[in-house]
Amino acid sequence: MNDRDIDDVLNRAAGSSPQVDPALVDRISQSIGGTLRPVRPLPSLTVLAAAMMSICTAAALLAGTVLGMHGIQKMGAAASAFVFFALAIFMWIAALASCAQIIPGSRRYVAPWILLVVICLGMDAVFVWQFDGLVTEQFVAQGIPCLATGLSIAIAVAAGCWSVLRRGLAVTPVTAGVAVGALAGLSGLAALELHCPNLEIAHVLVWHTAIPLLGGVLGAVIGLLAAARHSRSPD
Amino acid sequence: MLYPLETIHSSHLRDNRMSASDSMAPAPSNELLMARYQNGDSTAAAALVGSLSPQLHRFFLAQFVSRGFADDLLQETWMQIHRVRHTYRPGEPLLPWVYAIARHLRVDHFRRAQRTTFREVRLEATAEPPQPARRNEPSMDLSAILAELPESQRDTIVMLKLSGMSLEEVARATSSTVGSVKQKAHRAYEKLRQLLETGSRQSRNRGAS
Repeated sequence: MNDRDIDDVLNRAAGSSPQVDPALVDRISQSIGGTLRPVRPLPSLTVLAAAMMSICTAAALLAGTVLGMHGIQKMGAAASAFVFFALAIFMWIAALASCAQIIPGSRRYVAPWILLVVICLGMDAVFVWQFDGLVTEQFVAQGIPCLATGLSIAIAVAAGCWSVLRRGLAVTPVTAGVAVGALAGLSGLAALELHCPNLEIAHVLVWHTAIPLLGGVLGAVIGLLAAARHSRSPD
Repeated sequence: MLYPLETIHSSHLRDNRMSASDSMAPAPSNELLMARYQNGDSTAAAALVGSLSPQLHRFFLAQFVSRGFADDLLQETWMQIHRVRHTYRPGEPLLPWVYAIARHLRVDHFRRAQRTTFREVRLEATAEPPQPARRNEPSMDLSAILAELPESQRDTIVMLKLSGMSLEEVARATSSTVGSVKQKAHRAYEKLRQLLETGSRQSRNRGAS
């Protein structure tokens, strides 16, 4: 039996399946026609991603300004160029992925989970390349405030991004949560790179890179809760 | 990515089932109808509902649901499409957008149905579990043929072979990649081949005895 035979079987079976009731189609058409008014389509993916990128950049710059730009001052020209270039690239990809999640049927180049792992590993690679100092003092005592600051910024950014994205429809809320969480986490990470003067590898790899990772995981949990809540609500 | 017009027209030609008596001019593409629907044209909305409903209904029926359930899902899909019609980007292929919404609703519906069934079982301990399939029926039923396939492979086959969507369109509708769609289609065909060959062998044996 070849593929053409299987196609024939499927077509025959589809032909014998019950047809949709014309009265039902009429009822749907009338129901739609009764509440019809013009709508403005969503902007293009690029415009939406640019809006998200602007929110993330503005939040990171604002946080850096308020907390003090100690990190970038200590970093040096080459290191800051590499770190912020990598952050900008990953932020743009995450913004595109987030916007694709709220437009049904849009093209997906990479799954948000994979993107999250690539972001964390990519930023780790840049940090290992640019910074040194594997042995660090007060590892936890210095790390916790950084983590708290980065996550606070990420949560605020996620709320801002949501205000842009809520016009769309997330057909897979969990993966949408991962993408938005990763993007917001990158904004928190950018703010920390501007602010935190501790450039030791151990500190940056664990406490700074944890922010996009935790952002993605938190986003997934929120997406899961949203989906569960929606399925519990009455029709 | 914008599709070349020829691709859109050829892949959607079979879906434009407007009556030939309506006009001698070629039927407008579903994408064009959708753009007019977004602009508030009720004729275009009605034409789109008439054009896409048969294949959406078939898509739901292929998932082992009863006709009544498929009718409900079809209505709810159109209501959702109506609510989120602004999320369609003119110039993009329409079918992936429609099927992504339809799949989302179906999953949501099944989740609700499972929850309701679970509650009924807990409260009464007498409710019968939902009848998932008519797979034991001897007839050449679409859902019976597709019953043995996992959900993702079933969706892929229905969209590719029965709705006439391209690999790229199926990938968009299922939030996956073209490579993954190809792999699912290949596995589904292998499984269908085995099942159909086994079935025809058994019927030959029955005939001989």
